[in-house]
Amino acid sequence: MSFEHAFDVDVRRKLGDATVGATFTADGGLTVLHGSSGAGKSSGLAMVAGLLRPDSGHVRVLGETLFDAAAGIDVPAYRRRLGLVFQDGRLFPHMTVRANLLYGWKLADLADRWIEPAVVIEFLGIEALLDRRPRTLSGGEAQRVAIGRALLSGARALLLDEPLTALDPARREEILRVIERLRDELKLPMLYVTHDREEAARLATQTITVERI
Amino acid sequence: MLRLLTALIALLALTPPALAATAPTVLAAASLQEALTEAADAFARARHPRPVLAFAASSALARQVQAGAPADMFVSADEQWMDALAAKRLIVAASRRDLVTNALVLIEPAAGSTRLAIARGFPLARALGASGRLALADPAAVPAGIYAKAALTSLGVWPSVAGRIAAAENVRAAMALVEHGQAPLGIVYATDALASAKVRVVARFPSASHPRIVYPVALIAPINGRAANPEAEAFRRFLLGREGQAILRRHGFGPA
Amino acid sequence: MNAAALTAADWQVIALSLKVSGVAVLATLPVAFGLAWALARWRFFGRVLLDALVHLPLVLPPVVVGWALLLLLGPAGPVGGWLERTLGVTVMFRWTGAAIAAGVMALPLMVRAIRLSLEAIDPRFEQAAETLGAAPARRFATIVLPLAAPGVLTAVILGFARSLGEFGATITFVSAIPGETETLPLAIYSALQIPGAEARVWALAGVSVLLALMALAGSEWLARRHGGSGGRVL
Repeated sequence: MSFEHAFDVDVRRKLGDATVGATFTADGGLTVLHGSSGAGKSSGLAMVAGLLRPDSGHVRVLGETLFDAAAGIDVPAYRRRLGLVFQDGRLFPHMTVRANLLYGWKLADLADRWIEPAVVIEFLGIEALLDRRPRTLSGGEAQRVAIGRALLSGARALLLDEPLTALDPARREEILRVIERLRDELKLPMLYVTHDREEAARLATQTITVERI
Repeated sequence: MLRLLTALIALLALTPPALAATAPTVLAAASLQEALTEAADAFARARHPRPVLAFAASSALARQVQAGAPADMFVSADEQWMDALAAKRLIVAASRRDLVTNALVLIEPAAGSTRLAIARGFPLARALGASGRLALADPAAVPAGIYAKAALTSLGVWPSVAGRIAAAENVRAAMALVEHGQAPLGIVYATDALASAKVRVVARFPSASHPRIVYPVALIAPINGRAANPEAEAFRRFLLGREGQAILRRHGFGPA
Repeated sequence: MNAAALTAADWQVIALSLKVSGVAVLATLPVAFGLAWALARWRFFGRVLLDALVHLPLVLPPVVVGWALLLLLGPAGPVGGWLERTLGVTVMFRWTGAAIAAGVMALPLMVRAIRLSLEAIDPRFEQAAETLGAAPARRFATIVLPLAAPGVLTAVILGFARSLGEFGATITFVSAIPGETETLPLAIYSALQIPGAEARVWALAGVSVLLALMALAGSEWLARRHGGSGGRVL
């Protein structure tokens, strides 16, 4: 596969009176989408993930066109193979941690499973949590499980939407390290939305500023 | 869920269209419950299938006949509803007969000993005491109440008791008010009074004081290509015959 | 109340009531779920009207509902006539008709219970499932249904209780035919019309209460077995 960029994004959408959108290209490593709140960073991420349909533009990830308004291409989110990690984890409350982790794994094609559950569990240090219910987890634990769940779904890139916002400083540090290791050891392309400059400075291999349009 | 639904539809489709191979379905006014049940048992003993009996208010049953009820015979407690069905050719006209008649009685709780003769201007209001009410089936809607109001009106006492009526939903509910002493007096059919051990008949209303209380019977006209059930005709003849009439008489009904 | 006080006829009434109520609830459930889904998730023209229509059996006197069923499904009616002439099926005066009457009366309660539980589901869980590769049908089966389960259970219990107590629509539509449509409330009413039949009234009323309590206890047990979160249903 040959392609110029990991992410090639140009999306626009009207939300109420405002138009939100983002135009950028990003290579491998961790790309921080930075900008004042309300600039449309999260909406941009949702459009890349396929949860929000852009009015115009295109989304290409690792050379594959996932959305192209002009060409009439719109791959549904469940076929995009992009792992989305939300601010609030969003673990399924009616499933154990184990079932949450394996949810996307079971749905992924064999060829797309690039990492084993045992490896992920080890990597994230969540062995002891497997039989617990999400509501019994701390914020940091839940976020680690959410990251593991996204990795196991066969995701070829991770999209992280302010994953540290809901955490206290100690937990932030814990997750920051996990993300650094994802970046350095797994070499997974990541789009990372934050409005925290320190966080951006520490994590980013590339920073893109999203402006209000 | 889908499999269950399919099973249900199959079940529904399998249900045969008639109640049973030969047992006729008889719709009858609620006041006939005990008498017709006994008659049906007697009919069955004569090696007939036992008729399936459904009792309700004549009005409700008549509406069901209008809607095409899969039933074979109708016994109404009043002529109006039977006339309404006849007008729409929903009954077999030639099969209509007056089955029995009924009478109105004034009742009180069984322990009472009121002496009161029913005649023009009789002191009914005084007999109710200072605060007692007269129990009736709703004189605006229910046949038994309509007859009672007609009788009291023709006897000239309706104005004196009109404000002291305890109207019940049906005649048996009116009788229950007297049975439990909530009303010192009530007016019900003679057959009702005979069925209850908890009431005593004070006096019988003269038959001339109210319209004739008659129970017409008729076979229901088959629709949608249904076949007439010969057992229904047999039961109709049985009820009109000596044995059937004797059973009805034992339950307090009069000859038509 | 003891079992010895119940006659064979009483047992027939009880068995019939259970059959009618059970079938009514199971047959109404998919319909109620579909309506609840449409009302909770879709914005369409006439949604308010549909909502009002679904609630009609709750608002109207039951006898009116029974009368409407009579006109519609009676063999002389448009639907009932077609059923009898083409399929040879009659629901009037049959237990199936009693189940339809009970199901219609239970529908609004069931739709409400399911709709509330659907509306309580955070749609972001479905979004999360979508990004993990779950197509719509999979999301429905693995996220929506399990999260709506407590509401569905509530709907079943409420619907069953309502069906068990259904009187007005049933007697108006299918009369009180012993062994076919004479369910508990109809048998109780019929016994009330007979002087001296109070013992039967008490016995059958006692059975009704017992059945309702058993249904409640059963639902509690089910809810507890399915991971506590479902908790209380009433």
